[in-house]
Amino acid sequence: MLVLNVPTINDDLSDFDKLFELWNQANDDNMNVTFDFSRCGFMKQNAVAFLGGLARLITARSGNVIFNWDTMREDIRTNLGKSGFLNIFGHVSSVWTGNTIPYREDLTFNTTIVVNYLKSYWLGRGWVHVSPLLRDAIVGRVWEIYANAFEHSQSYVGIFSCGQHYPRQHNLALTVVDFGVGIPSNVRMFVRNQDVPANKALQWAFKRGTSTKPTGTSRGMGLDLLKDFVKINKGRLEIFSHEGYALITEAQEDFMNRDSFFEGTLVNITLQCDESYYRLSSEVVDEPIF
Amino acid sequence: MKVDVFKEVGENCITLEDGHKIYDMIHSELSSGNNVELDFENVKIFASPFFNSAIGRLLKDFKPEDLNRLLKITNITSTGMSVLRRVIENAKEYYSNPEMRKAVDDVLLEQSESL
Repeated sequence: MLVLNVPTINDDLSDFDKLFELWNQANDDNMNVTFDFSRCGFMKQNAVAFLGGLARLITARSGNVIFNWDTMREDIRTNLGKSGFLNIFGHVSSVWTGNTIPYREDLTFNTTIVVNYLKSYWLGRGWVHVSPLLRDAIVGRVWEIYANAFEHSQSYVGIFSCGQHYPRQHNLALTVVDFGVGIPSNVRMFVRNQDVPANKALQWAFKRGTSTKPTGTSRGMGLDLLKDFVKINKGRLEIFSHEGYALITEAQEDFMNRDSFFEGTLVNITLQCDESYYRLSSEVVDEPIF
Repeated sequence: MKVDVFKEVGENCITLEDGHKIYDMIHSELSSGNNVELDFENVKIFASPFFNSAIGRLLKDFKPEDLNRLLKITNITSTGMSVLRRVIENAKEYYSNPEMRKAVDDVLLEQSESL
C-alpha cells in the first residue's frame, strides 16, 4: 500500500510540482494508494481537479484508492463536500449548497453540460457581475480549453475540472486537467520530430492556425483566442504538459522547460471579475468580412 | 436562402459538428451562385471550431470576393463577429498559402535543432 501524503497546495509553481510528484509516485499499474491529508492545510481548485483525476487514473489502471477522510481538516472537508468531491468519491456528506464551484468529471464530451457548468456554476452564481454578452464571451473562450482537451488529449479516464471564486482577489479560477498523452507528444508526432523540446511544442500550439489534427481544414485558433482574451482581461493562463510550461499574462508570454514532468496537460486560468477589464468591440457587420 | 442558425444548432455555435451541418446546408447554394444569409439571432456563444468548419473552409472553394457578395452574416453579437473575423483571417492565409503550415513546422524544427 502506497501512502501519498497530500501537502498544502496553493497555486505557485512549486505547488504544481507537488501535484506532479504525487502523480509520479502513483504512475504505475495495480497501485494501491491511500491519500493522507494530515499535512494538508489548504487546497485550491488545481489540487481538487488533479487529485480527482489521479484517483480515477489509478483505479482505471487496476489499482485501488482510499481517501483517508479522517486525516482531513474539517474546513477542507467542508469545502470538498460543497464542491461535490466527497459525494463523487463515496464519502457521505451534505448536499452541495454553498458558493463552491463544483468539481466535475467528463468522460465523454457533452457540450451542453460543459457550457451549462461554465455559465451557471462557474460564472453565473451571482459573484461575478458581468453583462450577459460578456458572460457568453468568457464561456466561449474558456470552452476552447475543454474542446482542446477532448479533441487532443486521448485521456482514457476523461477530463477533470474544478473552479474557485476568490472574492478578496476579485477573480475566478478554473483548472482543467487530463491524463492523456500531453501537448508535446501530439506536436512531436505531427511534425515528425521527436526532438522538439516541450516548451517549443507548447509555443507551436499557441501559434495561429496550428493544430495537430491534419483535417485539411484551417484549424487551431482556440489557444490563440484564449491567449488574447487573457491578455485583455489582465488574467493569467498557465499550461503544464510534460516538462513544458506556458505562462500567459498581459505582460508575459513565456514558454519554458521545468524540472518536473507530468505526462498529461493541466490548464489553469484566472480571470478578473470586472467588466471594465474587457473591451468588447462593436463590430460593423456591413463591412466585408472575407 | 436564409438559414436560421439558432433553429438549426441552438444558442451555442461552438462545435465542429454543428459547423459541418451549416456548411453542408450552404455550400451547394453558394456553388450555384445563390445568395445565402446566415442569421445568428438568439445565438449566444461562439467558438472557433464551429466557424472553422462552417465558414472558414468555404475559402477552400470560393474566392473572398465571391463570399463577400454571396454570403451575408446577420444579427451576430460583437463577440461572435470578432471570433469569425479571426477564423476567416486564418483560413484565408491557410488556403492561399499551402506552404504556411510547412513554414511553421520548419521554424519549429530549426528551433529544436538550434538547442
